[in-house]
Amino acid sequence: MLADILTNFPVREFLLSVGVLCGISLFLAIVMVIADATINYYGKVKLRINKDRELEVEGGRTLLTTLKDEGIFIPSACGGRGSCGLCKCKISAGAGEPLVTELPWLTAEERRDGVRLSCQVKVKNDIEMEIPEGLFSVKQFAAEVVGLRNLTYDIKEVRLKLLEPAAMEYKAGQFIQIEVPEYELTDEPVYRAYSMSSEPADKNIVEVEVRLVPNGICSTYVHQHLKLGQKMTINGPHGDFGLREGAGEMICIAGGSGMAPIKSILLDMLRTGNQRPARYFFGARARRDLFLLDEMRQLEEKMPNFKFIPALSHPEPDDNWQGETGLITEVVARHVAAAADKQAYLCGSPLMIDACIKVLTEKGMPTDQIFYDKF
Amino acid sequence: MKQTAIEDRAQAQMQPGVITRDGMLGSDTRRLVDILVEDEAAVRRLGTTHLAIARRMRQLRRAGAGGLGNSIPVGDNFDVIVDGVRGRMPCPYEDGTVSKTNTRVTNRRLEREILFTDLHIHMIERHGFYMGRGSLYRLEPADVVAILEIEPEPAPPLT
Amino acid sequence: MPDTLSWFTVLFAAVFTNNILLTNYLGMCSFLGASRELKTATGLGSAVIFVMTTTSVLNWVVYYGILKKLGLEHLRFIVFIVIIAAFTQIVEMIIDRVSARLYAALGIFLPLIAVNCAVMGASLFMIIREYTFIQSLAYGFGSGVGWTLAIMAMAGIREKMVRARVPQGLEGAGIALIIAGIMALAFTGFNGMMNIS
Repeated sequence: MLADILTNFPVREFLLSVGVLCGISLFLAIVMVIADATINYYGKVKLRINKDRELEVEGGRTLLTTLKDEGIFIPSACGGRGSCGLCKCKISAGAGEPLVTELPWLTAEERRDGVRLSCQVKVKNDIEMEIPEGLFSVKQFAAEVVGLRNLTYDIKEVRLKLLEPAAMEYKAGQFIQIEVPEYELTDEPVYRAYSMSSEPADKNIVEVEVRLVPNGICSTYVHQHLKLGQKMTINGPHGDFGLREGAGEMICIAGGSGMAPIKSILLDMLRTGNQRPARYFFGARARRDLFLLDEMRQLEEKMPNFKFIPALSHPEPDDNWQGETGLITEVVARHVAAAADKQAYLCGSPLMIDACIKVLTEKGMPTDQIFYDKF
Repeated sequence: MKQTAIEDRAQAQMQPGVITRDGMLGSDTRRLVDILVEDEAAVRRLGTTHLAIARRMRQLRRAGAGGLGNSIPVGDNFDVIVDGVRGRMPCPYEDGTVSKTNTRVTNRRLEREILFTDLHIHMIERHGFYMGRGSLYRLEPADVVAILEIEPEPAPPLT
Repeated sequence: MPDTLSWFTVLFAAVFTNNILLTNYLGMCSFLGASRELKTATGLGSAVIFVMTTTSVLNWVVYYGILKKLGLEHLRFIVFIVIIAAFTQIVEMIIDRVSARLYAALGIFLPLIAVNCAVMGASLFMIIREYTFIQSLAYGFGSGVGWTLAIMAMAGIREKMVRARVPQGLEGAGIALIIAGIMALAFTGFNGMMNIS
């Protein structure tokens, strides 16, 4: 039977069939390539940003990616999938109507103003757009981990040396975005934001305090897998929290991972010889939640006008705690009599900040002298 | 049961490494829609609703927020700690972001503790999602109702 | 017999009496998936009409121009599907270029047009029924329109049914198939009305 098939094999028909199939497939493949090069090719387009910067870029990709390749980093936390709403920008021309995926993130007013999610806008035509000027100073850095230290059971201090570029110009109180090392599941990198606790004068070093978040995509990695010498990609600086002009006493309130920007501001004041009186109220639960006590004591010695006031709300019996006790808002209320001539620097969750603002305004502090970094 | 495209996308975003480290489905191999249906039945059997559970969680969170990251007694039976970190967390259903706030509630009488995040509250309230079985962050409806002492309420009629 | 059929008869029959979805029951999967909203259904329908018309014509040309001449009619299954797939890709690119909104709305359903058996079915039917070029054009277009009308009717019904009391086990696919079945039942009334074979 098999021999029959082999001897009577219709070679000519077989070769002809295969040939025709290959021919048709080849033809279609060529058509597809031409189509891709013409229909999908958007050519070069111009992006006009803030009316005075013009970029000529390749069309066809999202605005977020296109700008990232031009060195402009719009914040994003979801890898360009349209699920975080952080990548907003104002577009006055060239981007069509918002996509269905963008609408949940835009208020009616934003829609009227032409605000769009840059990760959902495809660059096809010349675009006229606006972004905050601060974003232009945001750069991407290749960095290396040169220090890892456990500050408490759930906060890790990470010290990064900047490799390329080797220096970041920033103000004390700003934050960076760290690219999560294992993001291969999304199209764009996923970022997480952390305040810098290092002093700006040390342009080559960036230090952050990472608190372990349950199921956190970056914090778990940092606490369990990050090693000395490992390379990381970061971008920054972001944010507008920092020291403001003034002569009045500074009342700083922050606990846990909110300490980072305050520490940065204090170190900067030491470096610049700023003698302004300042008090830093640090709220924690028990002694094991306190950290960087030595560093704070050293700052107190070097800056005679600075006082560090930790307060525990639930000290354990064997903590032997002699310091302040109670909720941080109560401690502040006890220590600050009149605040009309003072300035406040707050860093923490919106709830905490609102509670502090309430106490401070009750003591007479004008609201325009209260500066905060809301999580 | 076939699920909608929205649920497909949400399930994809619940995978490990997309929004959270270990994902939101744990070792659960069921489809999202099957998880939701079973938890909804469990909640109904407990005599309550997703909204009631979320409402109670929010109430305790609001009361505990005054502690500013430290433990504060709420009522005569609860100790609540509310703290958070910088940033916002996108919901896998792509319908908003929530703050990264954790609420830890200790029921003194039962000597049991429960930890939930703002994302839990949002997902229970809007989608009836309690995380997949096998996930460290799964909230069994029975546990939530017991520890937070949620009173049963008459379920709305199945119109 | 096919030669005496006017193209208009073929078109009319393809839309109403020999509806490729409700009479021949081809093209059900995207039908079930995309028929929840009228807008999506209309958008998908337009894309399907375009793909069906042009692939019917293209396939007719390739069949009678190449395959039949070389005695390779047996290759029609592979060749037709390859042409349909390539063409759907091109349609996808065009839609993306022209209307990002429609592209985002159609999403996964665009590439699914390629494996929609109605598209393949139309091409195969026109070969079996030995249609001429004009008849094939009319049949492809008519089938697309018929499919679209069926999907629009289905979407309309399902939009109205959002508030209906569907037994829990039948939610989703179950009730959709029942609706499709009832619609098909209605169309059996047309059987034999027009003979386009």
